Amino acid sequence: MTPVYMAAGDIPTPHIEYGRLAPVLIVLGAACVGVLVEALAPRAQRYGLQVLVSVVGLVAAFAWTIALGIGDQPHHVAAMGAVGVDGPTLFIQGTILVLALMSMLLIAERRHEDSPFTAQASTVPGSPEERESLVAGLVQTEIYPLVLFAVGGMLIFPAANDLLTMFVALEVMSLPLYLLCGLARRRRLLSQEAAVKYFLLGAFSSAFFLYGTAMLYGFAGSVRLSEIAAAISKQGGDEPLLLAGVALLSVGLLFKMGAAPFQAWKPDVYQGAPTALTALMASCTLVAAVGGVLRVFYVGLETLRWDWRPMMWAVAILTMLVGAIVAITQTDVKRMLAYSSIAHGGFLLTGVIATNKAGLSSTLFYLAAYGFTTVGAFAVITMVRDAGGEAGHLSRWAGLGKRQPLVAGTFAFFLLAFAGIPLTSGFTGKFAVFQAAMAGGAMPLVIVGVVSSAIAAFFYVRVIVLMFFSEPLADGPTVSFSPATATAVAVGAFVTLVLGVIPAPALHLAQSAANQLFVR
Amino acid sequence: MHGYYGTYLTVVVLFAIGAAIVGGAFLANRALRPHRPTPEKLTTYECGVDPVGEGWAQSYVRYYVFAYLYVVFAVDAVFLFPWATVFSAKGYGYVTLGEMFVFLAFIAAGLAYAWKKGVLGWV
Amino acid sequence: MTAADLVIVLLGVVAVGAGVLVVATRQLVHAALWLVVSFGALAGSYLVLTAEFVAWVQVLIYVGAVVVLLLFGIMLTRAPIGRSEDLDSGNRIVALVVAVATAGVLVTTLVRGFRSAYVPIKDRVGSGSSHTLGGSLFQTWVLPFEALSVLLLAALIGAIVLSRTDIGGAGPEPEEEEPEPRRRPAAPRGTVARRLGTARRRATPDDEDTIVLSRVDEEI
Repeated sequence: MTPVYMAAGDIPTPHIEYGRLAPVLIVLGAACVGVLVEALAPRAQRYGLQVLVSVVGLVAAFAWTIALGIGDQPHHVAAMGAVGVDGPTLFIQGTILVLALMSMLLIAERRHEDSPFTAQASTVPGSPEERESLVAGLVQTEIYPLVLFAVGGMLIFPAANDLLTMFVALEVMSLPLYLLCGLARRRRLLSQEAAVKYFLLGAFSSAFFLYGTAMLYGFAGSVRLSEIAAAISKQGGDEPLLLAGVALLSVGLLFKMGAAPFQAWKPDVYQGAPTALTALMASCTLVAAVGGVLRVFYVGLETLRWDWRPMMWAVAILTMLVGAIVAITQTDVKRMLAYSSIAHGGFLLTGVIATNKAGLSSTLFYLAAYGFTTVGAFAVITMVRDAGGEAGHLSRWAGLGKRQPLVAGTFAFFLLAFAGIPLTSGFTGKFAVFQAAMAGGAMPLVIVGVVSSAIAAFFYVRVIVLMFFSEPLADGPTVSFSPATATAVAVGAFVTLVLGVIPAPALHLAQSAANQLFVR
Repeated sequence: MHGYYGTYLTVVVLFAIGAAIVGGAFLANRALRPHRPTPEKLTTYECGVDPVGEGWAQSYVRYYVFAYLYVVFAVDAVFLFPWATVFSAKGYGYVTLGEMFVFLAFIAAGLAYAWKKGVLGWV
Repeated sequence: MTAADLVIVLLGVVAVGAGVLVVATRQLVHAALWLVVSFGALAGSYLVLTAEFVAWVQVLIYVGAVVVLLLFGIMLTRAPIGRSEDLDSGNRIVALVVAVATAGVLVTTLVRGFRSAYVPIKDRVGSGSSHTLGGSLFQTWVLPFEALSVLLLAALIGAIVLSRTDIGGAGPEPEEEEPEPRRRPAAPRGTVARRLGTARRRATPDDEDTIVLSRVDEEI
């Protein structure tokens, strides 16, 4: 009978700092409003109301995050220690919210066709019912609350200060994504296959996460990250229970960010999912997952870093190489960007491994920079369309630069940013993480990083050459303009340029966010 | 039959007695009855007519939602028990009372959605 | 070794054995039913460890609700109810090796980690009651608890999105989850019926769903 749990009379009233949790609460509240809109509003008004609710919710949450960041109150853990609202967390949450807003522009797009999502999720692909629902012009407006649920989970995930909260957040963020992956409007079988793969592998990785949590609880007697850290420094780090727990927990976390050898889901899911949703996953989910990795490894396992570093070195090297090398053989634009995203996960890990302030701030900067570029790139993909939907195959992009120089040029700019060419945000980000890794004594890692950047540059340049230096196809894809998508592209390109040319303010912001490190 | 295990031993004994009664009845039945099977006797009984088709039927996906609703409310009910034991205790008060209603409100929103979509109606 | 130790070892054997049967059986429905046995044995182990509340939650949620959900899931597919020979994957040797190796590593770790840890169960009676759990749930774990309701809501919306059609006025539509309907392997006639003790009822007006589905079957 542990006295801590039994002495109900002496304990203070449970206290939740609603102000510090407000961004999360606003987003989840907006999701609930969305559910009620779906239930109560007439069908014709749903689209408008849902978009309004989502955008207002995300903007309000972002404004509150800014306010929390400006307010110079000392950061501390909130909600009975379940979440830590601190500089890095606020930076990550703000990034997620802005990127979610940009993705929302793509998700709500209905200039290209009625919606990027299927008209009726329950109809069998190719069935008469599906045709009927398409003709009737139905749209599945439930996607907006589901996206908001996922974003809410992403906001809690990097803030979670104990593994239990982190697990619940992981599920809140993953479950809607599993579902939304299967709701593409075109090529629905591919989309459903992606959803099933993502779901099965995701459930598997959640099991790893839970088993690791259970083992760490067995080791430390608590799931709180700070207490795990305390137990490690007290009992030493060579306990098999601890090492196995860390390994299993890392599998669960690394799966979410798609690091090799847990990257297998990424190309299939990114390809099959609706492109608007792929933009959300490639930006926000990656930011949230890396945020969670940062917190676990910087707060919970920092004292154990000499034990996990070799493992993370191997994962980072493998991730960079697999991402860069396999991308060369890809013929589908979305698959290629998926492998590029895997490689970028490796670059991010080099920043994580540094385990110092520079590592933290450079990883934060890299996350923001990469997020904007990737949303912009996927937005361009939604614009380049054939009769059957988006022109996915790379051969269809041949000569696009001659017919649509602006669109192709912007895409080329994004690709150069992915490759890390100077004057783009990609260069600044890579430079920052490599510098931090070097300061942390990870020279071989930096060399592998530079080599795989060079390999990756090869296929980015190949696409650029394809777009600008080959003859346009006679029946080539058309470019479908729309204000919302164009805005997303413009914002992505603008931020990529600004962070490349004058990175100092953003770097400074990331540094001041990282200055306090994570709260415990 | 005292103490923690004692009380559960009572439950186990009760189950054992129940199983023994049912099992004993079947055993006695088997011991006393004549046993002369024919193929006709072994077919499935269907109101006296020969069975048609197979015993297989694919069910509606919408029934899945009923099963899922059951899961949601089972999980919901499970949290009500620990809550009921503590919310009036010293140190909890209205905050804890409110928390449960927030929890229920979330589920209620889902229920409202399900109801408006006609999921709850029997087809 | 006390009686409690003996009981927990026996329950463990039942849980593991039933777990093996879940993956080894050739009948999908039986796999779900063996899962009931495995979950039940786990619930028994929780009881022996004095985690009363968790044990009954295990019975209510897992044995009650989750297995029902699984059975519904099986009924949605076109999997035959009898013995299916194609349940074995060609990778089963590899899978077995991986599973045994993983189990070996995990069991070794747990044994090494907890060999010296011994908690006299008698002293812990009452620590698994709903009161204790409520205490820590509403004291320390308030936020995860609320987040859980969000998860349930999101999953509920998702389930409805996947299963509901509302094409105006078209009436009940036959729906399937499987994207590519394939013809089900013909189950040997009679055996299935006998095993289940129920043959398919003949078409009556009450049986609308069966009719609709069989019509779909014929169309395919």
